Amino acid sequence: MNEKKNNVKRGSVLITGGGIGGMQAALDLADSGFKVHMIQKESSIGGTMAMLDKTFPTGDCSMCMISPKMVEVGRHPNIDIHTLSEVTAVEGVPGDFQVTVKEQPRYVSHELCTGCGACEKKCPKLVVNDFEQGLSKRKAIFSVLPQAVPHTRVIDPDACIYLQRGRCKACEKFCPTDAILFEDTEKEYRLDVGAIILSPGLARYNPEIRGELGFGRWSNVVTSIQFERILSASGPFMGEIKRPSDERHPRKVAWIQCVGSRDPRNANPWCSSVCCMYATKQAVIAKEHDGAIEPTVFYMEMRAFGKDFDKYVDRAKNQYGVTYRRAMVSDVRQEPGTDNLILRYAKEDGALVDESYDLVVLSIGFQPHPDALEFSHIFGIEPNLHRFAKTTQFDPVDTTRPGIYVTGTFQGPKDIPETVAQGSAVAGRSMALLGEARGTEITEVELPPELDVREEEARVGVFVCHCGINISQSVDVKKVAEDISREPGVAYSDDLMYACAPDGQEKIKELIKEHHLNRVIVASCTPRTHAPLFQDTIRDAGLNKYLFELADIREQCSWCHMGQKEVATRKATDIVRMNVAKTRLLQPVETDSIAVISKGMVIGGGIAGMTSALSLADQGYEVHLVEKEDQLGGLARNVYRTLDGSDVQSFVKDKIAQVKAHPRVVVHTGAEVSNTGGYIGNFKTTLTNGDEFEHGAIVVASGGVEYEPDEYGFKDSDQVITQRDLEKRIAEGLAGTGKHYAMIQCVGSREEPFNYCSRICCQDAVKNAIAIKEKDPAASVTIFYRDIRTYGLREDYYQKARDLGVLFVRFDVENKPDVDVTGSKIRIEAFDAVMNREVAFTADCLVLSTGLRPHPSTERISKQYKLTTNADGYFLEAHVKLRPVDFPSEGIYVAGLAHAPKNVDETVSQALAASGRAGALLSHDRLSVSGIISKHNRDMCMSCLMCMRLCPFGSPFIDEDGKISHNEVICTGCGICAGVCPAKAFQVNSFRDDQIFAMIDAATHDIGASV
Amino acid sequence: MTAQAQAAVKGAKTEEAPPIEPVRDIPTDWEPSVLAFACHYCAFAAADLAGVMRLSYSPNVKIIRLPCTGKIDHSYVMRAFERGVDGLFVAG
Repeated sequence: MNEKKNNVKRGSVLITGGGIGGMQAALDLADSGFKVHMIQKESSIGGTMAMLDKTFPTGDCSMCMISPKMVEVGRHPNIDIHTLSEVTAVEGVPGDFQVTVKEQPRYVSHELCTGCGACEKKCPKLVVNDFEQGLSKRKAIFSVLPQAVPHTRVIDPDACIYLQRGRCKACEKFCPTDAILFEDTEKEYRLDVGAIILSPGLARYNPEIRGELGFGRWSNVVTSIQFERILSASGPFMGEIKRPSDERHPRKVAWIQCVGSRDPRNANPWCSSVCCMYATKQAVIAKEHDGAIEPTVFYMEMRAFGKDFDKYVDRAKNQYGVTYRRAMVSDVRQEPGTDNLILRYAKEDGALVDESYDLVVLSIGFQPHPDALEFSHIFGIEPNLHRFAKTTQFDPVDTTRPGIYVTGTFQGPKDIPETVAQGSAVAGRSMALLGEARGTEITEVELPPELDVREEEARVGVFVCHCGINISQSVDVKKVAEDISREPGVAYSDDLMYACAPDGQEKIKELIKEHHLNRVIVASCTPRTHAPLFQDTIRDAGLNKYLFELADIREQCSWCHMGQKEVATRKATDIVRMNVAKTRLLQPVETDSIAVISKGMVIGGGIAGMTSALSLADQGYEVHLVEKEDQLGGLARNVYRTLDGSDVQSFVKDKIAQVKAHPRVVVHTGAEVSNTGGYIGNFKTTLTNGDEFEHGAIVVASGGVEYEPDEYGFKDSDQVITQRDLEKRIAEGLAGTGKHYAMIQCVGSREEPFNYCSRICCQDAVKNAIAIKEKDPAASVTIFYRDIRTYGLREDYYQKARDLGVLFVRFDVENKPDVDVTGSKIRIEAFDAVMNREVAFTADCLVLSTGLRPHPSTERISKQYKLTTNADGYFLEAHVKLRPVDFPSEGIYVAGLAHAPKNVDETVSQALAASGRAGALLSHDRLSVSGIISKHNRDMCMSCLMCMRLCPFGSPFIDEDGKISHNEVICTGCGICAGVCPAKAFQVNSFRDDQIFAMIDAATHDIGASV
Repeated sequence: MTAQAQAAVKGAKTEEAPPIEPVRDIPTDWEPSVLAFACHYCAFAAADLAGVMRLSYSPNVKIIRLPCTGKIDHSYVMRAFERGVDGLFVAG
């Protein structure tokens, strides 16, 4: 801390931008005792992700993922959302900033508006709907999206007839709660906060600039974000794929890539990082919506560099029949009379062709906001060359002004999980800055008293969700609700459009009260993600949260039985009926809490592990750093420079020194974990060197290894080396001048059995090529590649390498270069797929770009902590989009190469994220224990000891009376004890035998016991 | 089982043994009813993933979520067969 003058630390953080990155940061901070002020320019939070239909590579519904987060942010007692607001000035120092906020009038009262929408129906003014990308109209009083948070309507003052011309007031007349405030005015106020997080998100390229593509002229040329809305169930066509000109179903659909990206003349020089994947996703989802569609993607380079991305593209090609054509479209013209579009492009053999398509989607790229420079000025931070926030490779979420952090696309183009990880990372950075002020500005949650329903007869309320059309396209939800209303014990049964949206939740709360419901079922998606949300909802209505069941009729019904509406509806009814049978028997559960050991353990002492350990230690927690080797540093010890020229060696040395000097970091080198017992908040670990310690959280940063090739004569010749060897030679000073270096990419990557991209090799090749050319302009470098994947702002360096005269030769995987090493010369023959002819080179040195592999210890660690890995052997996170650094096992987090191949800056971001998540956990003195645990009835127990022998967690024990007792604190509720107990003295809450029997009976109600 | 085999089985038993029910013909429109017990953490998650990946399977499979397949109790298996299910799938 260089600001010695001011020792004030405030326990609050200001976040500008309520997209997914801002929301993640807000939740991490608010959950760990910081007050959060979220400043949002629009009338609702949600950001870009809320506009998307599905996400790659899992095809998960975007709204279904983000909506619960929006609800959580909206209802969090420690988060204040300031909508229609902007920051106009920032003064102060880290720990104590004074921020001026200007808030535009909403003209509708948050307190009085119920979100019923009566005003919107009556409003006579129609306006182009920006959220729907101009594909539909909205009213002058409106809600940006159906799931808006806050759900208070807003009046668009530029469109409102009354505000413009002084008469109308239709909304006011029809508002049942008098919530309209025409006299509302602009407000300006000051907020005092300790840290600032910038997450303003992105702007998109305006494709009208590239007139030859016809956007704005031909109505069937749409942007990729418009196509997301076309795909969306809540979009202008309700998820049916239609083209704008005549609302016909298009058959041939073309995607044109790199519109607004990788084009310094007409657009932006950088690569937007996500378009290859989103186009693939859109093509796949379009095909799923309408099997007759024939998708073609026109692309320059397939940049599927992320975890499991290449496999997704392969699936798109092989399973969905998406055609990928490596060509740049030079011209899009409308065919007179048909509204079809004629695309002109050069085929791979060079021949010009014209091909007709029904619909064209332009994959438009990301760019900073038009006011990004002004934004930088207000916050006093430096922008980089391209107007994104300036950061460094080693501090990727720190802006140039201390105490102000950046996350998401304002730092550079990136996808959702990286944005979420940076959200947790900036939360961690803020916690490290403000640690001691934690808990000083928050308010405790006040819940209504719990109603005692134990003696009451069951009155089950059933809410069957449409989930847009996700469920209702395959399941007749109204029929399900109607059939279920006749089940015994069901007091109320109806359907809801989006049960998880704020209005849906409010409705559930109201109906619980109105119908005196004492047990609730929501029939929608999986309990694995949505049950906690609804449990909170019913708790708000005064019900114990264990009086709830989620009937999974989406993942386990509508999505598996598409196009079979009758059977799917019957199955959905059966699923709900089974849950009704169980729910009737549910009983309230009282939950316990446990103390948390506020220490962390980090496995792996590379960049990820050291960064993570230091961040946790800076947050105020003691950390045990366990490294298997005798020295810290990991793979980075062999790396000299990053792509932008930053010095990795001194960074690593510096980190090692910091780790060793930090009073709260205990380093255990030459040791591995031999055993960890316990559970979230209370782990106890023994190392192979005999060291023993307790801790509350674990970060797995066990790293990866470099692939050692046997291709292209690597084992036979000293002149065939790896990029790492070359890097070392460059650092030591290249011998000789005017030599020819040839490089071959994707050695050991992107092919079975290692069919994934190692992500770092293109950067390595470009980095080393630039270094060679800068040191020795007489030298020549030729890079043989399949796709150059210099994604994001890394594209600058690809351009630089080409400017320096580095030669790029593209080959196809079926036609790899032939290498012949004789004496001191290496002859390389290849088929240049760009020039469409054989080429031959003689080189002095052949450099292989070898990829990364999972660390051999991964398998052992995965067994030790019961963690899963993906098909390639990298650790699998809890959720690829929204929980990128969490494991499904609670209290364990992942960072670095252990998760997947990545570059240094990404590793640092992820390590900071893991320690942000772990820090949020360790900040709690006590954690609430799950209510789903096994309950032991000592009166029925015979102390046969079966449970004690089989419990993996050691919770049953022999007490002072010589009988079995049960330690509920370490019980995980697995129910093994209940399964083996001959006396049935163990029963698991919410999974009691009578409840399971009831489900079995309900599942078999139509076959009956007569058989 | 053929009639001959049944006779052989019968012949091997003492007279008090209850007669073994002959195997019935399967009606052409018959669909088996399958009940699955799935672990919350893996198999239930896998069933969710099947949905996310839009994999299609027979709608005659109904899933009962358990906190762990270790929770399975012989009485659940007995009850399910008593109630007439044709197959039971325990996954975890």
